[in-house]
Amino acid sequence: MNIKDYISSGIVESYVLGLSSAGEAAEFEQLCSRHPDLVAARNDFELKLEKWLFSEAVPPAPAIKEKIMNAIGQEGLPNQVPVITMESRKYTGSASPMRWLAVASILLLLVSAYFAYDFYSKNKELEAQLNLSRTKENEMNEKMKEVEQENQMMSDPNVAVVNMVGTQTSGRSTANIYWDSTSSNVYLVVKNMPQLPSDKQYQLWALIDGQPKDLGLFDVGDGKKLILKMKDTQKADAFAITIETRGNTGGPTMEQMQSQGKARL
Amino acid sequence: MLQQKDEQAFSNLYDNYSGALFNIITQIVPDREIASDVLQEVFLNIWRKISSYDPAKGRLFTWMLNIARNASIDKIRSRGYQDSLKNYSLPEDTSAYASASVIPAMDDYGLRKLVNKLKDEQKVLVELSYFQGFTHEEIARKLNIPLGTVKTRIRSALTQLRTLIQ
Repeated sequence: MNIKDYISSGIVESYVLGLSSAGEAAEFEQLCSRHPDLVAARNDFELKLEKWLFSEAVPPAPAIKEKIMNAIGQEGLPNQVPVITMESRKYTGSASPMRWLAVASILLLLVSAYFAYDFYSKNKELEAQLNLSRTKENEMNEKMKEVEQENQMMSDPNVAVVNMVGTQTSGRSTANIYWDSTSSNVYLVVKNMPQLPSDKQYQLWALIDGQPKDLGLFDVGDGKKLILKMKDTQKADAFAITIETRGNTGGPTMEQMQSQGKARL
Repeated sequence: MLQQKDEQAFSNLYDNYSGALFNIITQIVPDREIASDVLQEVFLNIWRKISSYDPAKGRLFTWMLNIARNASIDKIRSRGYQDSLKNYSLPEDTSAYASASVIPAMDDYGLRKLVNKLKDEQKVLVELSYFQGFTHEEIARKLNIPLGTVKTRIRSALTQLRTLIQ
């Protein structure tokens, strides 16, 4: 095909004015992708037509714009996918099967979306309940283990129990030390020790030949463990608990001694 | 935010193009009130379909112009519109139709101003195909001329129109 003849055949005008058949239009678009001359001819006619219609513009009544802007404001953003228009061509009378199909499919979509959401939220609820039960179960297990551990220690003949009694400064502060002489493990069971301000911690000391040995800092209070594993010591003449600033790395503040007990070994 | 921005852009689009599009609508739908309804429909369609506009296929105005023409033709072919124009029907008599007198009297503006400069035999073909939306086959049947002749005459009328535009 000679593209010059094609261009001057009237197809350009026919295409732009929407008078070409679907087949002709498809062929035209196909040829446009290969012939810049054809695109230029199309563009040229488009511009002329546009200029002409602009020069002959018929301004519509101002009220019409308001109506249109209201309508699109209610409609929302234009969709990225082609929208099925339900209200256009209402004057053609009976609705086409395609339109009913579209309505039915939208309804179906809404219904299934509802069920999906319903299942989803019920599932979430059950999941949350299950998690709560698991947490409670874990808490119970922890407590059970602690009690068992304490029981075991108390019944073990190698474990010495040191009763820590309150000093003059603390009065009622009491705790038990479980000291396994074979493994050197030291456990502290808090019985009654007041909760400290957040910048303070308790510290356990072993006294060996009059010298304090750090066995670790610990907190007491709600949610804290009943049995605390402290640092090991092979020797101890006595144990003491002092109040120190949180994270203390220095020696004991003996005037803050809360409770002490003599090791009987 | 996006909605507001788009609405502002659309408002500008309307200000820019509504007059030129209303031109073509009123040439197909002479009644101003009905034409205004069509204009609303056209801009709603533009708003809905703007994402389907493909710049590779032509200018934005061309795309909107075709939406406007199609909506106008749909309107004049609707049952409601036809009922309101009971006494308006296409005469079957070819010779009568071929004379300019039976073409509905329109204001001499817009594209019709150019079409009116064409030869009568071309004028009637552009009138029937472009302004009334008849297919080439329908026109061939109505005017009792071969389909091939309809096609070539319309093509030559359109190339003629192109030279008249400048």
